[in-house]
Amino acid sequence: MQSENCPNCGAEIFFRSPALPAVICDYCNSTVKRIGKALEKIGEVAALPFDVSPIQRGTAGTYDGLNFEVIGRIRLGYDQGSWNDWLCLFSDMSHGWLSESDGQFQMVVEAPIDQVAGDAVQQWAAGGDPEVGERVEINGESFVVTEARWAKCIAAEGELPFAATTGWDVFNVDMRNADGFAANFEREEDGPGLYVGRYLTLDELSPRNLRPIHGWAMPDYGA
Amino acid sequence: MVPDPPEDDRPNPWGRSDEAEVAPAAPTDRHVVTVAGDDAPAAEQFNCPNCGGTIEVKAAGYTVSIACQYCGSVLDISNADVRIVARYEEEVRKLELPLGSRGTLRGIEWEVIGYLRRSENAAYPWDEYLLFNPYHGYRFLDTDGRGWSLGRQLTVAPQSLAMAGFTVEGEFYEPFYAQTRAQVDYVLGEFYWQVAVGEEALTADYVRPGKMLSWESNAREVEWTLSELLEPNEMTDAFGIDPPRGGGLPLPHQPSPYREKAGKMLKLALVAAAAIILVTFLFGGTSDPQTTTIRLATNGVEQEAKIGPIELTRPRQAVTVSARAPGIDNAWVDLAYLLVERNSGIVYEASNVVEHYSGYDGEGNWSEGSDGSSSKFSMVPAGTYDLMVEAAGSQWLEGQYAPSNGADVEVTIAKGATFFSNLIFALLLVMAPALWVWFKHLNFESRRKSDSDFGGGDDDDDDDDD
Repeated sequence: MQSENCPNCGAEIFFRSPALPAVICDYCNSTVKRIGKALEKIGEVAALPFDVSPIQRGTAGTYDGLNFEVIGRIRLGYDQGSWNDWLCLFSDMSHGWLSESDGQFQMVVEAPIDQVAGDAVQQWAAGGDPEVGERVEINGESFVVTEARWAKCIAAEGELPFAATTGWDVFNVDMRNADGFAANFEREEDGPGLYVGRYLTLDELSPRNLRPIHGWAMPDYGA
Repeated sequence: MVPDPPEDDRPNPWGRSDEAEVAPAAPTDRHVVTVAGDDAPAAEQFNCPNCGGTIEVKAAGYTVSIACQYCGSVLDISNADVRIVARYEEEVRKLELPLGSRGTLRGIEWEVIGYLRRSENAAYPWDEYLLFNPYHGYRFLDTDGRGWSLGRQLTVAPQSLAMAGFTVEGEFYEPFYAQTRAQVDYVLGEFYWQVAVGEEALTADYVRPGKMLSWESNAREVEWTLSELLEPNEMTDAFGIDPPRGGGLPLPHQPSPYREKAGKMLKLALVAAAAIILVTFLFGGTSDPQTTTIRLATNGVEQEAKIGPIELTRPRQAVTVSARAPGIDNAWVDLAYLLVERNSGIVYEASNVVEHYSGYDGEGNWSEGSDGSSSKFSMVPAGTYDLMVEAAGSQWLEGQYAPSNGADVEVTIAKGATFFSNLIFALLLVMAPALWVWFKHLNFESRRKSDSDFGGGDDDDDDDDD
């Protein structure tokens, strides 16, 4: 872990992985990006709106045999609602996203698009538009598109692989298959990205250090 | 037959709705309800821009739509501001499970945060409550007055099988309600989707005992919900409400209360029946046979024979006398048996016949009768006996008594007997209660399926063995 000072307010900020070059300063909400050895303030994010998510930065757990810790979050919204994508740093220094929407969770990790077998995803990457209900093949698995919409970054916190700023637009496609596997396709300014993983319940992650919420008993495993 | 829809005696508060009106965003007064200690707050609060009532958002961050618990106005809170979607002014309905009430179901505490009244085009209404726990997400609590079901949305897609049903989590669900249109008639509380009175969705339902699998499709998405039927006392324990009033048809996913009992009783009856059969053959059967052969002229003349002595040693016992006349055809042998005790002279009488006929007619060859018969004496006291046999044979050919071919009648007396009629009676007695409960089970299943769009009733296709 590397400790630095926020170029805007001087508060201490941390970079845990070279693959995660962006940080939102906890004190001034500046988006700080590390470019080489230099730190640069890219922009600002709005304060996170209040929510009762059971996840917080510092929540730890296990996924596919790897321990992880939640170190960042981006909150995205569209006209029908909003959701959290929690950044999880795995013990092998790779990262994934714990996506939290309507009280349901999915863990996904990025799959390089140029290595993905699937015509639909390649077409979307080239600018094609998906349709809700469309069936697509990804690496031999059959998925159904359940949502496809433009979303905006509402707010963010902690460490991130990219320099998120409020108002940043992303085109997001949700897919699921019969066995509980999940896939997300995203298209934003910097290009397309594909993330694959699966739906799970919180207890399947053996989570620790969940967020204590007033008036609610934390599950036995979550403390 | 369809069930009587539960009565709705609650006043409909929906008077005038100004849904067309696009209200300006109200000044935002949303704020977090602060708490003492280190725990994160559990709610945020704002004043209804229509009636001014204080609204608490329990699923902050998820909730996008609220129907004000005071005035019923539908508000959009998906953004930082609060926007009126539909303005209402009437008194809101009183709910069986008031918003904000909490109860523990199957080990997890839930808070009631939303309520939907739904129906099929205003018929067959049902109540749908939205439950929330920040650590466990959402559940649905449904009732049409006959019972409560706890549902969760699936993240896996059920697998369609050839049998027109679906398999999920390794369990098969048979079709019950075909695709139909459901609508929202009333909303109150908070939701993670944009609610609206009048919103329609297509639904279809599949069942197995105790569980229901529901498909729902609207303009935005397709969702599957898996519901488990709760025991009446579970809702009483959790929320202190009265158990559902009984009566009416069974619920589509109500397990037959007779099935398990019938199965157990049937197993028990089969064991008892096997025991009875075993005992019958173990203690039945005959021993110490003595045989005599009588040569008959088959001219109707009586002939006599005697077998003995037969020593019977038990206080009471059965004796079997059997006769065989191999090779007789279109002939009969009348037999009279006299079982005589030598010392007391007591006589036990029986008579029988051995007859066999055959021939040819328009339908081909026919034959009836057999070349043997047997008679049983029961409860014969101990003693030394002789069996006197009187036999007379007759032959009938081409419509008249025929000249004799002669026949040999072999008469055998043996100790003991197997009373098959007693056996069958005992078996019926043992099986009857189990068959009665099984019949009640089939009757329950047929009533349950009578409301199904897929008929059923023609068979008992329960494929779960227990």
